[in-house]
Amino acid sequence: MYDYLIIGAGICGTLIARDLSRYEAKTVVVDKESDVGNHATLANSAIVHSGHDPLEGTLKAKFAVEGNRLYHTLAKELDIPLRKTGGFLLANRQDDAKGLETLYRRAVANGVDSPSLLDASTAKEREPMLHDDIVAALDLPSTMVTYPWEVAIAAMQNAMKNGAALRLNYEVASIKRTEEGFVVTSADGDSLRTKVVINAAGTFADTIASMVEREVPYRITPSRGEYYVLDKLVDGFVERVLYPLPNNNGKGVLVVPQVHGNILLGPTNTHQTDKENVANHAEDLDKIKRDAARMAKDIPFDMTIRTFAGIRASSTYEDFYIEPSKEVPGFYHVAGIDSPGLTAAPAIAEHVVGKLLKVRESYPKKSSFDPYRRKKKAFHTLSDDEQRRLIEADPAHAYIVCKCERVTAAEVKAAVQGPLGSATVKGVKKRARAGSGLCQGGYCESEVLKVIAEVTGKKPHEIDYYRKNTPILKEETKVKR
Amino acid sequence: MTWDIVVIGGGAGGLSAALAAHEEDVRILVLEREAVLGGILNQCIHNGFGLHEFEEDLTGPEYADRFIAAFYEKGIDVYLGTTVMNMTKTKEGFSLEAFDKKAGKLAIEARAVILSSGCYERTRGQIRIPGERPAGVMTAGSAQRYLNIEGYLVGKEVFILGSGDIGLIMARRMTLEGANVKGVAEIMPHSNGLTRNIAQCLEDFDIPLYLSHTVTDIRGVDRLEGITIEEVDKDFRVIEGTKKDFAVDCLLLSVGLIPDTMVLESLDVKMHPKTKGPLVDHNFHTNVEGLFACGNALHVHDLVDDVTEESRRAARCAKEYVHGKIDKDGRKVEIHAGEGISYTVPSALTMSSFDRPVRCAFRVDRKADRAVFRLTQNNETIATKKARFVAPAEMEHVELGPKDLKDTTSPITLTMEVV
Repeated sequence: MYDYLIIGAGICGTLIARDLSRYEAKTVVVDKESDVGNHATLANSAIVHSGHDPLEGTLKAKFAVEGNRLYHTLAKELDIPLRKTGGFLLANRQDDAKGLETLYRRAVANGVDSPSLLDASTAKEREPMLHDDIVAALDLPSTMVTYPWEVAIAAMQNAMKNGAALRLNYEVASIKRTEEGFVVTSADGDSLRTKVVINAAGTFADTIASMVEREVPYRITPSRGEYYVLDKLVDGFVERVLYPLPNNNGKGVLVVPQVHGNILLGPTNTHQTDKENVANHAEDLDKIKRDAARMAKDIPFDMTIRTFAGIRASSTYEDFYIEPSKEVPGFYHVAGIDSPGLTAAPAIAEHVVGKLLKVRESYPKKSSFDPYRRKKKAFHTLSDDEQRRLIEADPAHAYIVCKCERVTAAEVKAAVQGPLGSATVKGVKKRARAGSGLCQGGYCESEVLKVIAEVTGKKPHEIDYYRKNTPILKEETKVKR
Repeated sequence: MTWDIVVIGGGAGGLSAALAAHEEDVRILVLEREAVLGGILNQCIHNGFGLHEFEEDLTGPEYADRFIAAFYEKGIDVYLGTTVMNMTKTKEGFSLEAFDKKAGKLAIEARAVILSSGCYERTRGQIRIPGERPAGVMTAGSAQRYLNIEGYLVGKEVFILGSGDIGLIMARRMTLEGANVKGVAEIMPHSNGLTRNIAQCLEDFDIPLYLSHTVTDIRGVDRLEGITIEEVDKDFRVIEGTKKDFAVDCLLLSVGLIPDTMVLESLDVKMHPKTKGPLVDHNFHTNVEGLFACGNALHVHDLVDDVTEESRRAARCAKEYVHGKIDKDGRKVEIHAGEGISYTVPSALTMSSFDRPVRCAFRVDRKADRAVFRLTQNNETIATKKARFVAPAEMEHVELGPKDLKDTTSPITLTMEVV
């Protein structure tokens, strides 16, 4: 019997699990995917926003500003990358200049750290690649970027270290109320008993809620955001996150430097009925090119290495919907977490555990709680001495698997074996960056397959691309039949 | 110890270069990241190699073996399983940081470096195909490696985007292995592969080639389930009402090759905007003193025989450099790609060492049945060459000697006239 069962191992579910693991309570996270952070957490802008954008008084505004500050602690404790880029919100010649002042006032009201208005020449001095038509900028120095799925992986690793459990490939099929709480049954027929259910199921939050509630107070309205990824060779093209003046269709298309030096361009904001379809569309990609070109000149689109799309778990409720169920005691909603969800997630977790669940009233603090998770530094960033020592201990450190991102076989092995390791090609890419570079796995994918096969004792054609039953290789040819 | 010449890459280019540079008093080292020499030739098990070099029709591994045998006979030094990760300029030449599967981290000093690291394949991300991103979409060269080296078939129902040579070769190869290849789409109105490959790999197997078509949708959440192709007009805009759907579990991409110059990242090497390889003079010398480039790392070739021939010349130049006979600096005469020409290699002559005819490689930017290539200086013709059946997919060459030049300062322009 669990005390808390969280549905969804995205950024919110994993951070809530970590905060719950501070207490002497039994917690489990379930997710239908084969890895944590596989949906909205995997495909987003990676920005830790300042909190300038949401309307004053909303949970989005409150949690974004709080979350932004909490990321500094999180970075120290969980050893996750944080790049302090700062951000510029830009007014173009054709824009209504009053819009910038409105946002400045909103940023001040929301409690954003040190926003200020800049004239065009000051802004262009700091960001030489700004478009000539930019007439003013709102400086948002607390804007940062992180590596979203690593935050989820790190949070879950730390939660597990402190006693929380994780069940992947656990697709919730039904939730039955019992006298002591709930029985949560998977599509495969497994059952877990729990006193409390926390619904952090992203785009499926309404589907999950409808398993226990007659009238779900919101409906998820999925919204697709598409992106271009530019190679890390463009690092330094801009230093800051560039935002356009927002319109009624969201924050607009952004230019976002990433922690590893790549640049993201996007997202679009297109409603769709499908909760999971992350296809790219020519119209969306064209729009990104048009819109981004209003903010910066000569964007090196020829350095594109990938396009992708993510789905926002937007809802019919304007704000984040973080409430206890009105119908069912012990069932809690953490729903409608769209932008600035990544930023807000640490504050959402604090709020859920502290204010919503009031965990401390029922369970004592865990004296053994260890807030720290340490990640091995990337081999290629180590000193010559450190590299030589590691190679001596394990020669797999001198076997370069992915030349583009400088990933060694030892790092691929660690991604497979480590705590919360993943034996899929995409899981390795998320953890070790093999295949994230210029050649997109053209060379290293076959090497990665071999290393995973060696570690797991399977054959390369039995290794999945990401989910169950997604092998890259169809069949062996050099065998007798 | 300092090597006189370090060759990065032990494929067709590197082997040819090392053999040509080899002599008693020149210390050469070849660095190869795979466990065996031969490079991409090892996975090219089809024939068609060596028609010029050996006047024989060889497979890729056979072609490589001739050079590998000669290489080991001469006892040239080589590190296998060694990946060069970085290169910096030193007073004497270069310092290379490499990782060797067995020997660990290596610091290698070289007076001259020949870059012959080959090329990599353009990916789906670089050409922006809309649709989902399931397993089953990969580059043709990766599929070739999986099939011919590792022994795995990547799909049973196959479509191929791009009519580059690897795509065509894989259309035939997958068919022979029991897969059903449903077609090849090419966005250009003409094929991008060698004419012989169109005949032998598609026509002989009744595989349809859809010219002026491109893939406009990819479907499948876990595994590829289907694709859509559509016809495009001359500006590559999709023509409404031309959709064709194919149920496939594999989409191979043969949409271009790009020189792999990643190892040059920390050097300030000037690159050619068209070839994406380094800019070189007639000695294959880059703008970085002592750094030479050849083969597919310089510009992508269609015939390995040309790689061999070019790499030999590059190696001779590197050897002359080591002997103090050539200089990177000094007056240059630039070679410009004019009307009808997409690029030339070299892009300049360094006059202090331009003392013998050089073979200038280039590509045309359109197809023509009959063409005249014209070299001019100050609008005055200095040389012409007639050619038949020219196409962007087939590399052309023209010879240029010191005597051809009208003066030793004005740039040379190469043009194509369609006649």
